[in-house]
Amino acid sequence: MVFSFIVMPLLVAAFLPLIGKFSKKLLPDVLTNAALAFLVFNSILLVKPVFNQGFIVQNLHWLGEKVNLQVALDAFNLFMLFTISLVSLCISLFSIDYLEHYGHKSTFYALFLVMIAGMNGLVLVPDLFSVYLFLEVAAVASYALVAFGLGYDELEASFKYLMLSVVASAFALLSITVIFGMTGSLNFQAVAQGLQDLEARLVLGVCVAFFIMGFGLKAALVPFHAWLPDAHPSAPAPISAMLSGLLIKVSGIYALFRIVYSVIGITPALSRLLMALGTISMVVAALLALGQKDIKRMLAYSSISQVGYIVLGLALGTPLGIAGALFHLFNHAVAKGLLFLNSGSIQHITGTRNLEELGGLGKMVPVTAGTNLVGALSIAGVPPLAGFWSKLIIIMALVQAREFGYALVAILASILTLWYYLLIQRQAFFGRVAEKWLQVREAPFWMSAANVVLALVCVLAGIFFTPIFKTWISPAAEALARGIQQVLMWGL
Amino acid sequence: MSPTTLLWPILFPAAVAVVLLLIPSRIRYAREILSVMSAGALLYLGFVLFARRNLSLVSDWLGPGINFDLRLYHFSAFILLALSGFLFLICLYSAVKMKNHPRAREYFGYVFLAAAFSNGAVLANNFVLLVFFWEALLITTYALVTLGLKPTSHRTAVKSLLIGGFCDFAMILGIGLLWASTGTLTMDKIQVEPHGLTLAAFVLMMIGAIGKAGAMPFHTWIPDAALDAPVSFMAFMPASFEKLLGIYLLARITLDFFELKVGSGLSILLMIIGAATIVFAVFMALIQKDFKKLLSFHAVSQVGYMVLGVGTAIPIGIAGGIFHMINHAMYKCGLFLSSGSVEHRTGTTELKKLGGLAREMPWTAAGFAVCALAISGVWPLNGFVSKEMVFHGALETGYPIFAIAAWVGAIFTFASFLKAGHSVFLGPRSTEVPKTRESEAPIVLPILILAALCITFGVYNKLPLQHFIQPILHGKAEAAEHLDFTSHALDLFNPVAGVSILCLIIALGIHFYGWNRSGKKAYLASEPIHNLPVLHKLYDLSEARFFDLYEQGVKFLQWLSRLLFRFIDRPVDYVYEKVVTAVGRTFTGLLQKAHNGQYANYLAWTVGGLVVVVWIILQLLK
Repeated sequence: MVFSFIVMPLLVAAFLPLIGKFSKKLLPDVLTNAALAFLVFNSILLVKPVFNQGFIVQNLHWLGEKVNLQVALDAFNLFMLFTISLVSLCISLFSIDYLEHYGHKSTFYALFLVMIAGMNGLVLVPDLFSVYLFLEVAAVASYALVAFGLGYDELEASFKYLMLSVVASAFALLSITVIFGMTGSLNFQAVAQGLQDLEARLVLGVCVAFFIMGFGLKAALVPFHAWLPDAHPSAPAPISAMLSGLLIKVSGIYALFRIVYSVIGITPALSRLLMALGTISMVVAALLALGQKDIKRMLAYSSISQVGYIVLGLALGTPLGIAGALFHLFNHAVAKGLLFLNSGSIQHITGTRNLEELGGLGKMVPVTAGTNLVGALSIAGVPPLAGFWSKLIIIMALVQAREFGYALVAILASILTLWYYLLIQRQAFFGRVAEKWLQVREAPFWMSAANVVLALVCVLAGIFFTPIFKTWISPAAEALARGIQQVLMWGL
Repeated sequence: MSPTTLLWPILFPAAVAVVLLLIPSRIRYAREILSVMSAGALLYLGFVLFARRNLSLVSDWLGPGINFDLRLYHFSAFILLALSGFLFLICLYSAVKMKNHPRAREYFGYVFLAAAFSNGAVLANNFVLLVFFWEALLITTYALVTLGLKPTSHRTAVKSLLIGGFCDFAMILGIGLLWASTGTLTMDKIQVEPHGLTLAAFVLMMIGAIGKAGAMPFHTWIPDAALDAPVSFMAFMPASFEKLLGIYLLARITLDFFELKVGSGLSILLMIIGAATIVFAVFMALIQKDFKKLLSFHAVSQVGYMVLGVGTAIPIGIAGGIFHMINHAMYKCGLFLSSGSVEHRTGTTELKKLGGLAREMPWTAAGFAVCALAISGVWPLNGFVSKEMVFHGALETGYPIFAIAAWVGAIFTFASFLKAGHSVFLGPRSTEVPKTRESEAPIVLPILILAALCITFGVYNKLPLQHFIQPILHGKAEAAEHLDFTSHALDLFNPVAGVSILCLIIALGIHFYGWNRSGKKAYLASEPIHNLPVLHKLYDLSEARFFDLYEQGVKFLQWLSRLLFRFIDRPVDYVYEKVVTAVGRTFTGLLQKAHNGQYANYLAWTVGGLVVVVWIILQLLK
């Protein structure tokens, strides 16, 4: 049941190129969406057993024999799985209409599903090498997807992304190798135990630095961020949504903090370092976002800035901080997914993403404009939308931990966030309709539907914030906050 | 009679108000008939309750100590009766005068609503309840002033609301202080010496009371309202209802809640306010060129006599103040109604345009003459009696200056009414208004009734003094004081009365001198005084509203607002507009320049970042 998160998308991806030979559109659409809907459903089904037992550990059996592939599921990674499944389902719904003019739908879906399988795998596996393995699976698929349009910009961005990503992967792998050399094991539990007995703080410190650089690059923390504003906008809108909404969080934040918290163990010094990195990202990227003319570039910088919030909350290490950061992770995945899809809608409607050419679209395309407003306000942290609560909790956690300076910077950065999101609103949707947009029509059904669903999630998660936070976010945060104990509990 | 009867004077007019507001304008006469009949029923109820006197109704209301507590006793029954009498006359008058008013429906509704609130305020025996009704009156006043439908009516309505609101706020504060020091909100249980906290409470509550009555400096909306509000509202609220309520509360404050001592600082304070109000307002009244505005300044000036009388703390002075309250309500109501009658027929109240109307409007002229003589204090009318009592009281305090101020007031009161009467009803017939005739009976009748009451209360002053006024003071004055004021009040041959009569003669002289000097034009009779060297400057300033605390306050706030805008808001805004955006743009620009799309560049940052992270971690490990 847990393996279906990895196996199911891989299986569908394997058959899609064949199916694409005789069914260009219908079957790939149906199969992909059905598979992802099943994963959403599956993750909901798993809630009860996971919360009852605390965790689920399973081994893959092949023809009755135990294969050396394990998965471990606790509240934290179940939360991640649900987020991935929900957002990617909405993105694939959006793709039904959006991919019409790209062609090669089956290829696209196959790569898309491979990427999802990679992310799900990364989230589920409890050993370091498998983390690297699935990290690369997701990454390779994403290189191909960024270049999917095959234009000059796409190829350049993809190449830049690949080159920097490879550097990151190399350092992560190097670090894993060193740890394997020291502890003789790759399994989280064994490594955690081994490291506790070991007196090699210096080597371990360098390993952590490599992890921070490697996964920090995947998460696009400043100063490892420079690839993202090129790569994310160049990809087709659904892939941008995928990369910004999910991939940087899974292969960056999840991997980094799972290893730092559950394997190596967090120390106050490390916590401070990561908080500083998060804060720098938050501010620098927000300032950069302010100067952008291209909607997608602005959104890309915004992603870096919001990742800064998440890292700040997670690095703070208090249960409230972690919970706020995880809630923000969810909210950002949903809202940024929405906004990138929305930018796809705008591009589909008008053919441009340049804010200076747009204007007054609100009257012509109310659904697109309305959902965009919801997503923007959610990320900017305007009550009662979900993003407000998560930012509030992060700031409250900072105040609670007496980190007033960080709290102040977080508040100021959120003002910057509101600023550039209002720029989008003003330049694209408000004001008088430019003459050339008088004939535009609302986006096709599935694109609008995906936007509406995500916008609804933003609103509902804000309104029903208390029950969601209590039953869903807090257990995940506790699982992470238990640190090494959580992994040792799994008893592999 | 069950205690729930006490709810009738409140609920009945309120219900009538609702019905009046709902009756469609098309049903002719229904509104007028209903309002006059209801007012008549209320008047009857007033008599019944006055005969019954002592009744009390207590039920739980908002919480512990805040009960719905109504108490009928002699004083409140007297005020209740007076209120319903004036309501009846006003309704009768308005039935014709306001018939064609475009918003007559609202007018009658608000009048009855105001009556309900006033009755509630008079009957209330709990301060919270009192404040509730007292505040509600502000709203009806506001609404009634706006019904003047002049361009400035709204402005004046806001002014009345703000001034009234300020006074009421002071009163609430005073009540709070009183509650803090006595621990109770039940009115008839409070009896304290004014000192310290309770002294502040006294002053604050006094502001509430005299503010409602319209004493200086809380009067400034009344002259504005004279021109902006319907004239029947002027007869209804500032002339009668507000005087009755304000002085009722002032008397309650000085007699019941606090013990005002003769010669105490508070007594002097009240007398100063009273004397100042008399003199300054009457000087303003003297030079007015509009009939209604002239009357409105007298409505302020006369409050001075009441405040002065009550402030003496001497039984005859207090009795005089309260008697003056009811007398003033009668003749001032009559005067406003007669000015309304003139306006009704001629369409104007400007003295310059009027003249010689006595032949065409004999009844109005006669009613006006009686009321004008009464307000001027001519023997044997009621104004004479109550003013004499106030003079006696003022003299007995040992500060003759207050009596002199009151006499000065008397001189110019008479002079200004000579001018008004002369301009409107006597002299050559004005050519500016077409030929006209007497107003309808419902307009003339209330004026004549009031004039008749002025004569009755003057000639048979024993009647009101013994039945209405004396019992109020019963048990309040010291045992030795004799409470029979009827003996020397009517006494024409005593030095006090002599001075008063001398004042009237002086006034006559002033008027005819001025009339002669200004080419036999009566409306200019006050010009010699108007043009006196220093007075002229003061008048000019006053006309420019220099002494109007409200206008000055508004100016000050506007100035403050400009100041804050220029020196606080703009700089802060500048920081946002210029500094923040400039800093933001600079950083954004710098950062954007750094992102030049060069792979090598980015890789260098990455490696540089790694080096820094490693270095930091190694530092941390040391």
